[in-house]
Amino acid sequence: MPDQTRNGMQCNEFDQLLTDALDGVLSGAALDRFQAHARGCKACGPLLAEAEAGRNWLQGLTEVEPPASLVSNILASTTGVDTQRLWTPAPVRQPRTSWLEHVQASFLEPIWAMVRQPRFAMSFGMAFFALSVGLTVAGVKPADIRSLDLRPAAIRHTYYNTQARVVRYFDNVRPVLELQAALHGIKRNLAPVAEPEPAKQKEHKNDTTQQPEQKEERNYSRTENQLILASAHEGPCLNSCDLPVVSVTTYRRFV
Amino acid sequence: MEDVQVVAMLVRRCIAGDAAAWEEIVQTYNRRIYNICYRFAGSSDDAQDLTQEVFIKMYRTLSSYDHTKGAFVTWVTTITRNLLVDHFRKTKQDRMTDSMDSTASDHEDAQPLSEQIPDQSAPPDAHVRSREVSETVHEALGKLSPELRESVILRDLQDMDYKEIAVVLKVPEGTVKSRINRGRAELARLLQRTYRQVM
Repeated sequence: MPDQTRNGMQCNEFDQLLTDALDGVLSGAALDRFQAHARGCKACGPLLAEAEAGRNWLQGLTEVEPPASLVSNILASTTGVDTQRLWTPAPVRQPRTSWLEHVQASFLEPIWAMVRQPRFAMSFGMAFFALSVGLTVAGVKPADIRSLDLRPAAIRHTYYNTQARVVRYFDNVRPVLELQAALHGIKRNLAPVAEPEPAKQKEHKNDTTQQPEQKEERNYSRTENQLILASAHEGPCLNSCDLPVVSVTTYRRFV
Repeated sequence: MEDVQVVAMLVRRCIAGDAAAWEEIVQTYNRRIYNICYRFAGSSDDAQDLTQEVFIKMYRTLSSYDHTKGAFVTWVTTITRNLLVDHFRKTKQDRMTDSMDSTASDHEDAQPLSEQIPDQSAPPDAHVRSREVSETVHEALGKLSPELRESVILRDLQDMDYKEIAVVLKVPEGTVKSRINRGRAELARLLQRTYRQVM
C-alpha cells in the first residue's frame, strides 16, 4: 500500500482504521477524515469496498454441524470412555445355545466348509497316498504301530537298549579301524618314491585349437604362440627318445 | 462468552479427575474447534481428526492453563491454531494470495487462482444463503494464504476481538487488523471474478 497522505490521513492509518470503520465504531471527525481519504485515494478506496464485500461474504457463511460421533470419539481418545455405546440401542439378546452348538458354529462349520472344497480333498488324498507309500517303503506296518508300547518305562527301556547297542557297535569296530590305520602306515613307508609326472598340457575341453572362440578374442589378446619342449626325463633315454613337441598358447588379460 | 470462575472451576475438577467435567468441556467447545478446523483445513475428515488432536492435547496440557493469564477460549483457540499450523506445514498446501491474480512464472500453464473457481451465472444476492454459494465462499477461503485465512476465520467466523486474535496469533494488534483487511479484500476479489455481473 502506498504511503500517501490525502485529506490529512496516511494510507497506513487508513488501514488501521478500516476494521473500526467496518465494525461501526468509527465516528466523528475520524470518520470524516477516513471517508475523505477513501474518496480521494486510488488505492484505499477500492480496498474499503473490497474489504466490506469480503466481510459480507464471510458473514454469509453459517456454522457447520460437527458429526454426531465427534464427541464420543474425543472422549474415547482422551479418557478411554466410549459414550457412544450409551447412545446405541442395546443389542438384541440371542436365545441361549449349548456349548456344543457354540463350538460347532464357531469352529467345526468353518473347517467343514473348507474341507468340502474339491482342491482341499485332492490335496488331502495326495498327502495320504504319499504317506502310505513312504511307510510301505520304510517297512512300517500298521501291526507294528499297534504293538508299540508307549508307557514311559517302556520308552526309557527302549532308549537305554538303543544306546547300549550303539556303544557296543563302536567298541567292536574299533580294532578293525586301528588295524586298517596301521596297514595304511606300513604301506606308505614301504612304497618307492613316486616319479614326477610329465607336464601335461591343460587342454581346453571344448577348444578345437583351430578355431578359438570369437568371444575370447574380444576380451583377451593372443600374444604368444610358442613352441616349447616338454621337460625331458633324465637318464639313458635322453638322447635316443624323440622329444615331444607341445604347442602352448598363452592368453594374457587385456589391461 | 464464558464466566472465568466457572470455567476455572471446571478445569480444576477436570484436573482432579472428574470425567463429567471433561465431558462438559468437550461438549461446550467441540463445535467451535471443529468449525475453526473445518474452515481452515477445508475438509470434514481433516477437521474431525484435527479436532480430536486438539482435545487430546488439551487433555494432556490442561494443568498448564492459568486463568489469570487469559480466557479459556483464547487458550483453546491458541492450541487449535498451533495444531493447524503444524498440520499446514505437514500438508504443504501453501497458497499465496499475493499471486492470486498472477500466473505463477514457473508454471506456464497454471491459471490464476481467481479463474480456478467455477464461474456461476447467478447473482450473489439471490443465492447468498444457498449451499452452493457457501461452498464457493468456503473454497475461496481455502485459497487464501494461511496467515490471512486464520485472521479472517477468527474475526469473521468466530467473532473474536482483535486483542484475543493478537494473543492467539502472537502478532501485534495492528498486524491482525491489516491481515483481516487484506484477507477480506482478497476474498472479495476472488469471488468478484466468479460473480462478475453483480460485483
